[in-house]
Amino acid sequence: MRGLAAVLLAILVSIAAVLLGVWWAPFVIAAVIGIVWRRARVAIPIGVILGLAAWGVPLATAHLEFGLRPTAESLAAIMGFTQPAIPVVLTMAVGVLLGLTGAWLGSSARSLVGGQPATSR
Amino acid sequence: MLALIASGAVLYAAFFGAGPLPALGPAFNPATGAWTMAQDAIVASQTLHLAGLEQPAKVTLESDGTAHVVAQTDHDLFLATGYVHARFRLFQMDLLRRQGEGRLSEVVGKAALDSDRFELQLGLLRTAEAEWAALAPDNRSRQALTAYAKGVNDRIDEATAQHQLPAMFTLLGYQPKQWTPIDSLIVKGDMTQTLNFTDTPLVMAMLNKSLGPDLTDRWFPVLPPNQQSPYDVGPYQTAITGAPVAPIAQIPDAMAVAAADAYQRLASLPAGLVASGGASNNWAVAGAKSESGGSLMAGDPHLHLTLPAIWFQLSMDSPGYHVSGVSIPGTPVVLIGHNQHISWSLTDAQNQQTFYYGEQEDSSRPGEYFWKGAWQKYKTVTYDIPVFGGATDHLIVKLSVHGPVITERGQTTSVWWAGNIPSQDLDVLLGIDQADSYQAFREALRGWYSPTHNFVFADDLGNIGLISAGYYPQVARGTPWLPMPGTGEYDVIGTIPYDDIPQAFNPPDHIIWSANQRQVTSDYPYYIGTTSNFFDPGYRANEIHRVLGQQDRKFSAADMAALQTDTRDFLASQITPVLRDALSGGGLSKEEEQASLLLDRWDYKMDTDSAGATIWWNFWQSYLAETFDGYWKSREVKVARAELNDALSQDLEAWTLNDQNNPVFMYGGTKNTAVEVMRIAFHSMFTKLSKQLGPDPSTWTWGKVHQRELENLVVSGLNYGPKADGGDAYTPLAAPDFPSTHGPSWRMVVDWGAHTFQGIYPGGQSENPASQWYADRAATWWKGDYAPMLTADQAASSAGAKSWSLKP
Repeated sequence: MRGLAAVLLAILVSIAAVLLGVWWAPFVIAAVIGIVWRRARVAIPIGVILGLAAWGVPLATAHLEFGLRPTAESLAAIMGFTQPAIPVVLTMAVGVLLGLTGAWLGSSARSLVGGQPATSR
Repeated sequence: MLALIASGAVLYAAFFGAGPLPALGPAFNPATGAWTMAQDAIVASQTLHLAGLEQPAKVTLESDGTAHVVAQTDHDLFLATGYVHARFRLFQMDLLRRQGEGRLSEVVGKAALDSDRFELQLGLLRTAEAEWAALAPDNRSRQALTAYAKGVNDRIDEATAQHQLPAMFTLLGYQPKQWTPIDSLIVKGDMTQTLNFTDTPLVMAMLNKSLGPDLTDRWFPVLPPNQQSPYDVGPYQTAITGAPVAPIAQIPDAMAVAAADAYQRLASLPAGLVASGGASNNWAVAGAKSESGGSLMAGDPHLHLTLPAIWFQLSMDSPGYHVSGVSIPGTPVVLIGHNQHISWSLTDAQNQQTFYYGEQEDSSRPGEYFWKGAWQKYKTVTYDIPVFGGATDHLIVKLSVHGPVITERGQTTSVWWAGNIPSQDLDVLLGIDQADSYQAFREALRGWYSPTHNFVFADDLGNIGLISAGYYPQVARGTPWLPMPGTGEYDVIGTIPYDDIPQAFNPPDHIIWSANQRQVTSDYPYYIGTTSNFFDPGYRANEIHRVLGQQDRKFSAADMAALQTDTRDFLASQITPVLRDALSGGGLSKEEEQASLLLDRWDYKMDTDSAGATIWWNFWQSYLAETFDGYWKSREVKVARAELNDALSQDLEAWTLNDQNNPVFMYGGTKNTAVEVMRIAFHSMFTKLSKQLGPDPSTWTWGKVHQRELENLVVSGLNYGPKADGGDAYTPLAAPDFPSTHGPSWRMVVDWGAHTFQGIYPGGQSENPASQWYADRAATWWKGDYAPMLTADQAASSAGAKSWSLKP
């Protein structure tokens, strides 16, 4: 239960940080989770969820508040595409990759220090 | 190790970008990255605190984004205008100043280095700095520029703090520096350059060398060979001496090499840095010829049609100013519009403002040139140009008394350009904004230098007028349409006295008009330029004159609007009857007969559903090619013939109408006359269009081959169009090129009798592509409709209006 609360807290902190412009916060927080959490196969999915939420929640909020379709269309056009979904997917992918690689790096560091395989207990 | 590599790759792409991708982290951060354009697109009524404001002020935004700034002091008016411009057009403003200051490479990399080097060589920045330094502390334009810059910077600071900078800053990964008054002067310099900096003497030198002095002299004369309609028919002041009318001699080889080198360099620059032709209309009708009894005025300056547009529509009200119209973002004035008593618009006057000089040098005296009997040292200015992703570029600019050295291949050549004369044109515009009579308007224009413009005028008392204000360089002697020796005898020695420049006030036929045509008759005693690229061929002016000159007809504002979207091709109306006669001799196939019949029934209008329009335009291009291309090929002319079509069309028109046996048609020893060449050209046109559009000429509608497009300044994916549109290069609704990206950038119609003011430009008030104001006016403009130009009070009570309360 404490673990779940910690994860939720980490996600909330990540969202707050991204909202303040600290876009790389999911990487750092996920890395900390990777270091702290003993099981990499749990820590890494948590990192993915954390990254997704940290970048996805502000995006969803902006969509509800302002409507993002014209912006998505414009960004797609700037990028040379016609599908407005592409910048949305790209944005979410950045968040996911930050969380994923952060957690992965953290877990790997933990395994190096602890001398245990990253996927074992 | 794998985790470290993957993390490193992700973080690198996020912080620094990869390939064409920007730094992904800051660019796509949903809270502070490019996604913030969604929030920026929402404009709501609000209270804003602006540093530097002296008193509360108010901005009303109509439902289409037209801004109405009301301030209690003139200082606050300019400050608030700066804020409003920056709120909607900050990235465009930054691009404009960077272009003129040679700082585009700093943000886009080496792709812009040629442009930057050229701009710093030409000297917009040096001129702007000199203009700023010459302004006294209490000068009104200095005060306006200072307040305006403060307003722009208020927005930069606000947007930076709130993560609301335009998305392009985020995507390109840089932040705008603070705005300065010199930046505004640079923006004005950009416009001067795009309208008046020309390469024509270089072109003439290349023609002189390849085509030969004789043909160049005959085909590109000083005075137009065709029938035109100047608005100032004299009588003129007593003839002066010194007007250069010397015949063209063979230019030296070294100068030809220099001209070719400089020409190639200028030709490789991005479009817009060198003026190429012109196309704008304006006219006025006095109360005696209007249905309302008051004067009418119409203006539609033709420019590169961009998104965002070059124009921003607003009204400005303060104790000293009550003016409404369009401004250029980056400058604190209304450039075209009206105040409580007068209205004005402008077209480019097209007189020659660029001269090239071959400097006499001696290898034993490096760094020196010979001028007025003595050796002079070149001045040098050095610049460091930062280049994104590359090493800083070091540039040394050499300056002679004539101006910057433009090439050192062959004979060292420098360029004298009127746009490099420090002038207080902004002060002139402030004077126009405040003028309440023709006398005040004319007096304000006395200080105008460059670019020379035909300023049309109408007022609430029924008066009309037109002044082609600006600097008209006069040389002591020589042939200014070619590069000239730089030894002093051929220098620019001044300008035409203000009372002698082309102008007219309340002419007896109650109409006045300009469309970049030569403004004066052959009796005019001063040299102002040649037919080759400086002045328009005159077809738009002739068409406007044909319509306005109708006897016993009175006009309304609706008639003015109809004339602005007139697609009738005056040249076609002159040539088509002659062509039909030429074709009547037989020898046409059944399908060619059908095409000829379509021309018979054609009303000379370049409308999208007209097949006659397509046949005409392609015939004329074919006729030009059949007449001139043989000369071009055999003499290996390095200038594209199409670049000179405006001048050659005047020749061909004159020969076809008045001299069908001209030797030009006997190329290669043939016995041809204009009639035979027209027949050949018609066959050639038919073959080409059959292949392109199919065998049935009735389906060859103009809209299939002729489109128009509004181009985004940076991203082609954000363009509007291309869509089929009427008009061509010679119709009042100007639409040159395929697709056309040039044309009426703002249309305004004023009826002082009915007290109605209407305007429209293609585009929208916001540069934000996610905004409803990005291109919302384009469809209205395309249909030929207008929007009323409201006062601030009318706007405040209009449907959907928003207001900003500005507080100190």
